[in-house]
Amino acid sequence: MSQFIVGIDLGTTNSALAYASTDGGSTESPEVRLFSIPQLANPGEIAELDLLPSSLYIPGPNEFVEGALALPWNSAPPYITGQLARARGVENAGRLVNSAKSWLSHQTSDPTQPLLPLSAPEGVEKISPLEASTQYLLHLRSAWDAAHPDAKLENQSVLITVPASFDAAARDLTQRAARQAGYPEVTIIEEPQAAFYAWIARTQNWREQVRPGDLILVVDIGGGTTDFTLITVTEESGELQLERVAVGEHLLLGGDNMDLAAARFAEQQFTKTAKKLDAIQFHSLWQQARAAKEHLLSGDPNAPDEQPLTILGRGTGVVGGTLRGKIKRDDIRNLLLEGFFPMVEADAVPQRQRRAALMEVGLNYASDPAVTKHLAQFLRNAAGNTGVGGFARPTHLLLNGGVLQAGAIEQRLFEVLNSWLRAAGFPAVTELRSESKQADLMHAVAHGAAYYGGARTGRGVRIRGGVARTYYVGVESSMPAVPGLPAPMKALTVVPFGLEEGSRVELPQRKFALVVGEPAEFRFFSSVSRKGDPPGAMIEEVGDDIEELAPIEVFLPPHTDAVREEVVPVTLESNVTETGMLELWCVAADGRRWKLEFNVRERLAA
Amino acid sequence: MSRFSAAFRSFFSILFSGILPEDIASEFGFTKAQPVPATPPPPPAPVHKVSDGALQMLQILQRDSRLIDFLMEDITGYADDQIGAAVRSLHADCRATLSRHVTLNPVMDAVEGTFQKLDATKAPDPSRIKLIGNVPANGKAPGGTLRHRGWMVASVNLPPLGKQDVSVVAPAEIEVE
Repeated sequence: MSQFIVGIDLGTTNSALAYASTDGGSTESPEVRLFSIPQLANPGEIAELDLLPSSLYIPGPNEFVEGALALPWNSAPPYITGQLARARGVENAGRLVNSAKSWLSHQTSDPTQPLLPLSAPEGVEKISPLEASTQYLLHLRSAWDAAHPDAKLENQSVLITVPASFDAAARDLTQRAARQAGYPEVTIIEEPQAAFYAWIARTQNWREQVRPGDLILVVDIGGGTTDFTLITVTEESGELQLERVAVGEHLLLGGDNMDLAAARFAEQQFTKTAKKLDAIQFHSLWQQARAAKEHLLSGDPNAPDEQPLTILGRGTGVVGGTLRGKIKRDDIRNLLLEGFFPMVEADAVPQRQRRAALMEVGLNYASDPAVTKHLAQFLRNAAGNTGVGGFARPTHLLLNGGVLQAGAIEQRLFEVLNSWLRAAGFPAVTELRSESKQADLMHAVAHGAAYYGGARTGRGVRIRGGVARTYYVGVESSMPAVPGLPAPMKALTVVPFGLEEGSRVELPQRKFALVVGEPAEFRFFSSVSRKGDPPGAMIEEVGDDIEELAPIEVFLPPHTDAVREEVVPVTLESNVTETGMLELWCVAADGRRWKLEFNVRERLAA
Repeated sequence: MSRFSAAFRSFFSILFSGILPEDIASEFGFTKAQPVPATPPPPPAPVHKVSDGALQMLQILQRDSRLIDFLMEDITGYADDQIGAAVRSLHADCRATLSRHVTLNPVMDAVEGTFQKLDATKAPDPSRIKLIGNVPANGKAPGGTLRHRGWMVASVNLPPLGKQDVSVVAPAEIEVE
């Protein structure tokens, strides 16, 4: 029996760890605490911080004084993770690994291959996004174990959060990273749900704030991703029930993109007069742009009209070399609110075309930065699930993420959503707000994960939800192939939307012939918007609402006994484990089973 | 030996030779100072000089908040608004750095300019309280106007000194193109 429930927010830019004791009795709200993570803040200096920056630095030979990288649990770690990695990476970007998490869900490259740092000079060892994630988790585990020698993490109940929009392969990779980092079997939980649990945990009278029939929209804007989730409230034998009914598409767009856009904008005024800003100066500007955003867009009517920006001189001439500038509220408002959260109609459609300004080599950032357009599309797609036409109409809104410290962004989201509801003749949404909101936007996800860990063991309420997508395998149609064209592909529904933890679905209708001793590969598809396809349903035309994922594969080992069979007819079966992992199995008539593995090596070419 | 002889000899021996005659010294129980037998040397602790801690503090203030650059720069030629812009930023950085490593509290937590009572029966600890103005002759005062609250360090949080050369307050930086 574990002593603690540990919730880990493995974020794109920052990670956090929260925990609760398991012996809190039967109280619904276990006391959840945030773990201070020891990490190098400077060479030779350990600091305990609430967040572990998800940055990894690959130190070169003789780059640091001997012993300067020692951690309390490792005298000579091969990599630097956390604060110092981020700081040193500004000075030498060629050895810095960032945004590893975004690569786990990358559709065109293999996250198990050494890809990062992308801009590493010849001769610098590269590591895989999977390995980087492993290192962050390893840092957290080592720090925990050092602080809790009598309650090692491997003996605790651990939950790790992922974006709701992570597909099955990306969730599988997160599990794998945890396994490599020496974790026990971890439970995967979706970030917007964790944010909602955090709200429940912090709101004593939450049952009085929502009623059966309510529809709660959770918007979670992290550093690198934006996630939408809808949760319905129902009643079953007098008890409130929560069910997650829809999640948004994977949207690689977050607070960091917004801060970067503001910094790029502010940079123009300096480059008119001075030379190009160097990396360190630009980083300083980036930090100031972030602060200016929070200050100028605080939503406070008394906020100033502009904020000075100061870039100190490089070299010893710190005063003489200081560059002065400013950023106006109207400009930053225009840039961020109109650029990322424009007032749009409920039928707005995000542009598909890629915007060069938001591209970073390799990562396919969201093609349209307008979060509100993506939200409109999400609510339209979700309409079918919530039993209304047009678009799903939330009654409550819960916002999470550091970017919402800029109050004007929060206000804008309400304005946009309410304008849609008003136009359709519905009342405005109610905000779900907890008292400690502002202080905790950064930590809510880890907090909620630890709460959910308690809910799984029967303390507190649990959101039902299951699998967030419908999954299909490709079946080649038996139509005669047109010369020069591949046979049209049909899609067989193998996992219905919402398949719950601990349940399984068999598909006896369709048999596949697998050849013994040869790997068999299935094309694999998913959809976040098609939610009504029952298991076994054949989709004749694979349209835009179904996206292809990396293939899945199985290998039937050759037989050792005398009776050699060449071909084994199998049916498919899917199940979701208690820890939320999706598994697909091939089942032979005699009961033998082989697990299908996600093959990230052969991700699709762009 | 008579007291007279001993006194006489001692007087002239000290006057002309600078030492007490040995027989008189032993007679009166004096012995020559013997070199103290050397105790085994302590295990070689990291050799940190007393000044290393001060240098480390300079190093940190420079690294995190450019204090040495600022103090060593000749700013006489710059306009006030240029200095003002830089100082606003430098001040914020220095303050953050200082408070990260040192907790500073006032010695007397009271409003400056108001009357503060002192213990009139004894003179205050001069390291904590400095009396100024019409200080009574006996150094004891029943109180007076608080002119400066004073500062004292409640805690110091400095990382252990590693093997770096602390005399280098800031390394030279070379940017490779």
